[in-house]
Order: sequence, then C-alpha cells, then structure tokens
Amino acid sequence: MNSIKSLLFNLFFIVLLSACEAPPRTGGSDSNLHSTAIITADTVSANEEYVMITTAINMPMYVNHDQAAFKKWAKKMGVKASILGPSEWDIPAQIATFEQVIPQKPAGFLVNGTDPGIAQVINKAVDAGIPTVVYDSDIPGGRQHSFIGSDWYEMGRLQGERMVKILKGKGKVVVMGILGMTNMEAGFQGFLDVIKKYPAMEFIGKYDDKANVELAAKITADLIVAHPDLAGVAGFDGNSGPGIALSVKEANKIGKIKITTVDAEPEHLQLVKEGVIDYLVGQKRELFTQMGAQMLFDMRHKTISFSKNDAKAGVVPIPKKLVTGSIEIDKSNVDLFIK
Amino acid sequence: MIKDRIVTLSATILLLCIVMSFLFPSQFPTVENFSQIMLNLSIDTIVAVGMMLLLISGVFDLSVGSIVAFSGGLAGYLMYYHDVNFLVAIAAALSGSLLIGFINGFLITKIGINPMIQTLAMMGVVRGVALMLSGAGIQNFPYEYNYIGQVKILGLQSPVWYMFAIVLIFSYLFKNIAFFRRYYFIGSNEKAAHLSGIEVEKMKLWGFVIVGLLAGIAGILLSSRLGAALSSSGKGLELRVITAVILGGASLSGGQGKIVGAFLGAAFMGIVGNILILTRVSGYWQEIILGVILILAVGIDQLIQKKK
Amino acid sequence: MKLGLKNISKSFEVVKALQDVSLEFQEGEVHAICGENGAGKSTLMNILTGNIQPDAGEILLDNQTVIIQNNQHARSLGINIVYQERSLTDGLSVAENIFPLPPTKSFGRINFGQLNQQTKALLQQLEIKEFSPATMVSTLSPAQKTLVEIAKALATNPAILLLDEPTASLTDKETNILFSVIRTLKQRGVTVLYISHRMAEIKLIADRVSVLKDGKYQDTLSTSDCKTEDIIRLMVGRDLQQVDVATHTIEEVVLSVKNLTGRGFKDISFDLKKGEIFGLGGLVGAGRTELAMAIFGATTIDSGTILKNGKRIINKHPKQGIANGIAYLPEERKTLGVFLQMSIVDNIISAQLYGKGYSVKTNNQKAGDYSKKLNIRSASVQQLMSKLSGGNQQKVVLAKWLNTQPDVLIVDEPTHGIDIGAKREIYKILKQLTADGKSILLISSEMEELLLLSDRIAVMREGKLKGILNKRNTSENEIIKLATQ
Repeated sequence: MNSIKSLLFNLFFIVLLSACEAPPRTGGSDSNLHSTAIITADTVSANEEYVMITTAINMPMYVNHDQAAFKKWAKKMGVKASILGPSEWDIPAQIATFEQVIPQKPAGFLVNGTDPGIAQVINKAVDAGIPTVVYDSDIPGGRQHSFIGSDWYEMGRLQGERMVKILKGKGKVVVMGILGMTNMEAGFQGFLDVIKKYPAMEFIGKYDDKANVELAAKITADLIVAHPDLAGVAGFDGNSGPGIALSVKEANKIGKIKITTVDAEPEHLQLVKEGVIDYLVGQKRELFTQMGAQMLFDMRHKTISFSKNDAKAGVVPIPKKLVTGSIEIDKSNVDLFIK
Repeated sequence: MIKDRIVTLSATILLLCIVMSFLFPSQFPTVENFSQIMLNLSIDTIVAVGMMLLLISGVFDLSVGSIVAFSGGLAGYLMYYHDVNFLVAIAAALSGSLLIGFINGFLITKIGINPMIQTLAMMGVVRGVALMLSGAGIQNFPYEYNYIGQVKILGLQSPVWYMFAIVLIFSYLFKNIAFFRRYYFIGSNEKAAHLSGIEVEKMKLWGFVIVGLLAGIAGILLSSRLGAALSSSGKGLELRVITAVILGGASLSGGQGKIVGAFLGAAFMGIVGNILILTRVSGYWQEIILGVILILAVGIDQLIQKKK
Repeated sequence: MKLGLKNISKSFEVVKALQDVSLEFQEGEVHAICGENGAGKSTLMNILTGNIQPDAGEILLDNQTVIIQNNQHARSLGINIVYQERSLTDGLSVAENIFPLPPTKSFGRINFGQLNQQTKALLQQLEIKEFSPATMVSTLSPAQKTLVEIAKALATNPAILLLDEPTASLTDKETNILFSVIRTLKQRGVTVLYISHRMAEIKLIADRVSVLKDGKYQDTLSTSDCKTEDIIRLMVGRDLQQVDVATHTIEEVVLSVKNLTGRGFKDISFDLKKGEIFGLGGLVGAGRTELAMAIFGATTIDSGTILKNGKRIINKHPKQGIANGIAYLPEERKTLGVFLQMSIVDNIISAQLYGKGYSVKTNNQKAGDYSKKLNIRSASVQQLMSKLSGGNQQKVVLAKWLNTQPDVLIVDEPTHGIDIGAKREIYKILKQLTADGKSILLISSEMEELLLLSDRIAVMREGKLKGILNKRNTSENEIIKLATQ
C-alpha cells in the first residue's frame, strides 16, 4: 500500500511541476518580426475604446493637458476615450489596473510612462495584440509600439543656454529635480554639457527635491545661506519652480538669483510675469495624447500600409519614437499663455 | 456573530459576482479576469492574514505597507548594487522585515508606546529606508528572483498559490494550536488573559514579529512579480488591509475574527476594485467608494457591538 | 431641609438590595449609616443622588414627595455626594475642579480672577490651608484630593451632603480638618449623611447612627447613648444556616506564607493546611485581594517568602502560579474572570493554553465532563459566556481553575452577585474539593459565608493580619471587632 501512496504522491508532484509555466526571459530581441499580430479593424465604431492608463489621475497638470486633449480627440473621431488609474502616485495600482483591462482587448492603450517597473505589463498588452503607445517618459524595458514625449536632454540644454545668456557666462549654478529618474538625469546632463563650455560658470551640484514644493524651497533656502553668491537655479520637475521661487522671494533675492525651470502651469506663468522666474521650458503635453491616440487609431485602422498585411508581416505602421519639442517662455511672450 | 459575518460576506461576494456576470457577460466571469483579480489581491491578503492576527488580539500595525516596500527594496538593492545571490538577498530582506516587526513589538510591549503611534512612526521611518534603498526604482532582477513571483502553476501565477497556502495554514493554526488561540483570549479580555496565565506581552510581541515576516514575504512576492522594486510599493496598503480585515469580521476592540475572513474581506475589495475598472468609474470615485466601504464596515461593526 | 425615606425597596435581578427601608434625617444633624458590604448602603446612596430609581417607596424632602431623576436634578434639589472614587481632573487647578462651571466674561472667557477669589473664600471658610486655588490637582496627595472633593461638593451649597467613607485615605490631621468642616456645616443647618465602618469616628462626629443589614433597616441609635458593641450587634447578628460543617483538614501544611509584604499588605504570615478552607475576612480595602494576587503571581512581592509543600516558590507571573499548583478566581468576575465573547469550552480551557496537545475534540469532551460535574446549565458547551447567568458563569470559572489541577484554590468573593440557589451549589462544590484533598483560601465579606465554610478565619485590616480565629470558638462580633479596630 505504501508504495502506491508514494507513487501517487510523486505523480502528483510531476503533474504539478509540468503544469508550471515559467515566465519569459527578458532581454530578448526587440524585433517585432515574430511578435503577436496587432488587432485591426476595417471600420470605425463608436464603441471602440481607447484607454489611457496613468497614475495620480487627478493631478491638475495631467487633467488639464493630457486628459483634456485626449478627450477632445476622441470626441472629434467619434470614438470612446477612457481614463483609468489610481488617484495617488501608486505604480503597483497602475499596473493592477492595466492588467485588469488587458483581457477586455480595447482598441488601444495610451500609457503614461511613469516608472520602468511597468515594462512587464506593457509587454503583456503588446503580446495580447493591442496597440500600445507610451507617452511622457520612455520605458526602456518595454516593447511598446511607439513612444511619444519630450526630449529631456534638449530641455536641459535649452535651460543651460538661457542660463549662460542671462548670467553673461559667469556665476554659480545648481540643478534641482528627482535624482535617479532617467529623463531628469538626461535633462541634468543636457544642462551640464552647456555649462561645461563656459569656464566662468561654476556648477555646484545636483539636488533632489523629490517633486515636492516645500522641499525645493527648503533646499534653495539652504543653498542661499551656504552660497551667498549663488547666481542661478535650474529646476527639472513641475514642483521645482514654485519651490525655488518661494525661497528666492523670501530671501529678497529676486533678480539676483536667476531661475529657469520646466513646465508652464498657471503658477509658473504667474512667477514669470512677476519677474521671479526668468525662463520656462514647457512640454507640449497635449500632443502626447492627441498624437499618441491618433497613432493607436492608425494602427488599428491600417491608415497607411507598407505591405499586403502589415499585421502579419510584423510591420509597425507608426513612428517608433516621436519627439514633441519644447515651448520656450519668458517675459516677452508669457502673456500669450496666461488664460 | 462571527459565523454570520463569514456567511453574509460570502453571500455578498456571490451576489456581486452574479450581478456582474449579467452586466458584463463576456468580461467578468472569465478565467482570465478571475485569475487577474486573485493575483492582484494576493499581496494584500497575505498581509491581511497578519493584520487579522493583530486585530484579534486587539491591536493593529500601520507600518505594513512600508515593510512591503522595504523588503523588496532591500532584496533589489543587494542584488543590483552588490551582486548578491538572490537567495541570500531574500533571506536578508525577510530577516530585516522580522527585525522591524520585533522593534515594533518591543517598543510597544516593553516600553509601552501606544501601538498606533509606534507603527505610524515606523511607517515613516521604514518608508524612508525603503526609498533610500530603491531610490527611483530598481529593475533588472536576476531571472531566478523573478521566477518566484512570475511562475504559473496550473494557470495561476504563484502569488495566488502562496496566498492560498498562507490562508490555509493560518486558518488551521488559529483553530488547532494553543499558541494562536491565546490571541483570542488576549483580545477578548486582556486582564483576564493575564490572570489566566497567558504571557500577554510576549504574545503581542510575537504578533508584531509574525506580521513583519508576512509583510516581508509579501514584499518579496510583489517585487518579484513586478520584476522591480518600486518606491511606491505598498502605498496605502495598511488602510486597505485594515478595511478588508474588518469587513472580514474582525472588531477594532479585539477578540473576534477568523483568518478566512481576512481572505474574504480582501476578495470583496478586490472584486469591487475590478468592478470599478470594468465599469470605467473614474479615479475620483475610487477614493470615495473605498472610503464609504470603510465607514460602512466600521459602522456595522459598532452597531453589532452595541447590540451586545 | 428634612429628608425622609419611606418604604424604599430596590432589587437587581435576584438580589434584593433594599427591602422596605424607612429612614428619617433631621435638619442639621450628622447621621451615620452603618452596615456590612452588601447591606444596601451604596444602593441607598445611588437612589438619593438620582443614579437609580427605587422599585417602590417614596423620598420626601421637607415632607414633599420628590422623584430624583438624575445627578443634576439631585444637585438642584440640594443633595450632593462625595464619593470614594476620585472625580477630579489632574490636569486642572483646584479652583477649576471645585467650580466646573466657572464664572465667565464676555465671549465665554473664563474669569480666572473671580474664580480664584471664590475658591479662596470657600477654602478659607472650610479652614483648609494646605493648598491654594491655583494649585494643580496632579500635585496633591490622595488625602488632599479628598479635601478638594469635599470642597467641590460644598461649592454647590448643598442642603444634604452624603459622605461615602470620607476618611478612607485621610491621616489623623486631615480627618480633624474634615470633622471641623462637618461641624461648620452642622451649624449652617446642612444635613450630613456619613457612611462609614469606623466606629470610633462615628462616635466622635455623628449624632445618630442607623444600621442596615441584608438590605433591611435595623434600628437607629443615638451615638452619645450607645456602645460600639450595640452597633456591631445590629450589623451582624443573624441565625447561622445549618449545612455540612464537617472539616476535611489534615495537619499537612500545603502553603506557608511568611512575612509577606507588598503593595497593600504588610508582614503577612500564615499556614494553609491540606483539605482546609482558610477564610480571609476583613472590610473592603483591607488588602485581602492584593495579598491573594501577590501569592498567585499577578502582582509583585516586596519581601517575604512563600513555601509550597515545603519548597520555596517565586511567582512572578500567573503562569508560574498556575504551574505551582495555585489557582485564583478573581473578585470581579466580569472584568477579570471571564471571556464574555467566547464560548464555555474556551473559557474552561483558558488557563491551560500552555502545554502539550491542544485538541478541539479533547477540549469539548473536558467541557462536557465539567459541565455535568458542576451542573452548569446551558444549551451546549459552545454557547457564549455572555448568555449564562451569574451563577453558571461562576461555575464555568470554577471549572476553568479545576482544569489546572491546582492544590490551592484562592477564591475571592466567590458568590458575589449570585442567587441563593447557586450559592448553595458553590458551597457544596468547595466543600467537596477539600474532601478531595485540595486547600482553599476563601476571601469573603459575607460573614455568614465565612463562618459557614471556613475551618479557620484570618482577619485583615488596612493591610495587616489582625488575628487568626478558629471557627469553633469565635463569633461574628469578634471578627468585626478585629476588622474595624
């Protein structure tokens, strides 16, 4: 009897083990040649749904630019736009949301590239044959069909050039942003590469404000105390600007410390008008979603074909990467942006 | 009374599933959808089992979310920056989580710090450490590590199996092992428990250690599943888990609750989450609905207490 | 103001707290109320202060019938009380405590100047010099706090003031202050009801003394005309019930307590013999429960030794007490003894959660056995404790402790709040236990119970052991004497 029991036991384990499905190994080729065919359709239906997957869904900048443009586009095209994601900055929740929508096979996914950690789930969507476009920040580990976003190196370079100009090639400068984030590090680099060319410009360091206004203000205040001759601060996330401006105001250094930063939200524009911030590099966020959604549409409806059957042939009929460029704002044109 | 909750909660879940199957026949009642729901609630449930233990004894722990982030963060940090073998990294992460639980338990039982305050403070401290370790995020874990959380057995991804195992094991323990039964007595009447020879302080300390370990396990599974240690891992976990556990029959005053209730409570919330996504309810409503569920859960709990 | 009680009765379930009590208090007299624990004094106080309503009878103020609805109402009628338990807020000053509704200026701001003035005047009137209006209550000693409580009650200008064991934590000096305050009040025509056990004080300060026993009014004596013995006789004299008084004591010493000192008790020594019921008598606050808990291991011992079967034992935690064969049934069953939300089975095994082999099946069996043995009335052993009557709950508690196979059972007020039928059953059980060779330390404030069950009786007063009496040649009087003097 015992031997039969142990035999059954072993069988059980063998069955169990063979029922194991190992996860795919990453680092495979980026080639689309043998990937899943994209799901296409011949007619446009009012029910076809394009889903935006983001996080911090209620953040004003996202709502007013990305989401507004997306909704406008969907209305124009006569299709459905859905916006999903957690209200907090919660990546695991964004991933969980994404995963639960994939089985429903919507017409396309517009994914806010919030964190490299979402690469896995992007690949799941792509493997399910759903057109997937990443916007804002690129996700290197993912096999998304396209990326559309700003060129952060360029944004840094523009800030660098302008900073050199206003400081007349001389002075102490710092950069501030979220350290470790790929796009911001690219921005820092763009800034630095310009500064390096001017020996009279002194680069003091990179500072992490964790996308927090109060922290940006505190760091600026500390820097002003540590370097009374600080000449310029360059910010790289949306909250850097207001924070830096606050401390510069409180230290009575308006005009003495030059500020350049990213984003062109109402608070940034106001500060430019007041003369506290000298230069803004804005993103064309509306394009992220409007053109991103359009690309999804084009994939689905085979707007342009490169072969008899692109889906089967493994051809992705949209740009691989779209750089949207930047908007430059200073006192000379700020009024045109203020609503 | 508790039996009632298991029954009523199960019935409610069943009802929700039936209704949803009618409304979304092609999307809700599918194997894919259900396995996705289970996968997403597996992390929460593992921690909820620990939280149920604590609530049975009359306390709770607000630092669990941070421990989840810390655990994955430490493992990731060791593997990525120091090329540590994945098994060693896991051992380190779990040891660290145990230690955090021990510190919580020690400060609460031996020094006498109020549990809510202690674990609230620890929540911040541990999250800070987790952020330092994981920075803006760590990816590119070794394949073996990812395998743990991504392998599928009989079609279900491993965290789901871990969840079932932990729920079953702890259900058994709480019914049949004296050590775990003691928690009911402590929660029901701490003074009487002391006078009955139960070493209340020791038991409470162990409780926090066990929760720390479970949160650590959850953290490994989460980061393994995502293939990344994220700084926002475990955010908001504690409140979700406490909600789930109370829905599942625990009482804030202690002495009540069954382990399977933790699973049912988490399942309920997972299904509600899935419903919100399927019905495309916007993010604004999510917060409101989850808040309302918590109020209902606590409110009903209070009414039942009053009736007694 | 004259106060009268006519035919007042009050019952709590099966317990008849007051039966047909009639009392009359003159204006401006100091009237003491005496009685053992359970005589009905607290119930009487609660009725007068509006906390509970009598089942029958009337309260008359100046010959007018009144119904006292609640505390506030009582206060507005001029009746106020100083309790034994503290009602002060440590974080506030003396003045703020005495006048919880302080005088205010515009916008509700407290007028501290006036408040302190008022308080100063009051303290002066009462000739209290030990603290000032602005003193923080947290810095006062318990005795001083009592004085503040008294001042607080007086601040409402009562016509009738009830004092519940006011000298419990006062030194002689403060007691004198209290007495002069009372005399001042007398002169002002305030009626003072003085509840106390302390015969000496009663004779000093009271004009008359009324005695309650078992909820019934006994008699009223003039303190100048009577002797202490007369009062005591009224308090305790009763017929002894005839029940099995056989003793099962063997001369072997099971527990030996030597010079035990701790919080609430000092230098206690006695021996407990095998098969003996050793009674521990005394008034509330004498230190008996403190002693019991210390022997059991629930609280700490400062000095002294305990020997069990000749070997020294140190119990630092109830777990050790249980391991050493000692069981303790607490006085406050509901808060310390039972797990109301849990089943009978769980309660029965609750003291045996450290040991090998926890088995649901065995537990159910055990519970069933004990249920039969102790005649616990319930639908099933799975029933929740909260559904059982007091008597049955106590039997479950007994089962719980018997389950630990103890040699020594310490039972603290075992029949408190239990009906007469269940009481008998518990007496029988206790006697049977001694026949089986167990020893019992019986703490009881019920004289009848103590004399009925005990082989020997030790009497404690204010933490000290006053004497050990042999049941055969002692009386209630002797016990009360030791307990009160």
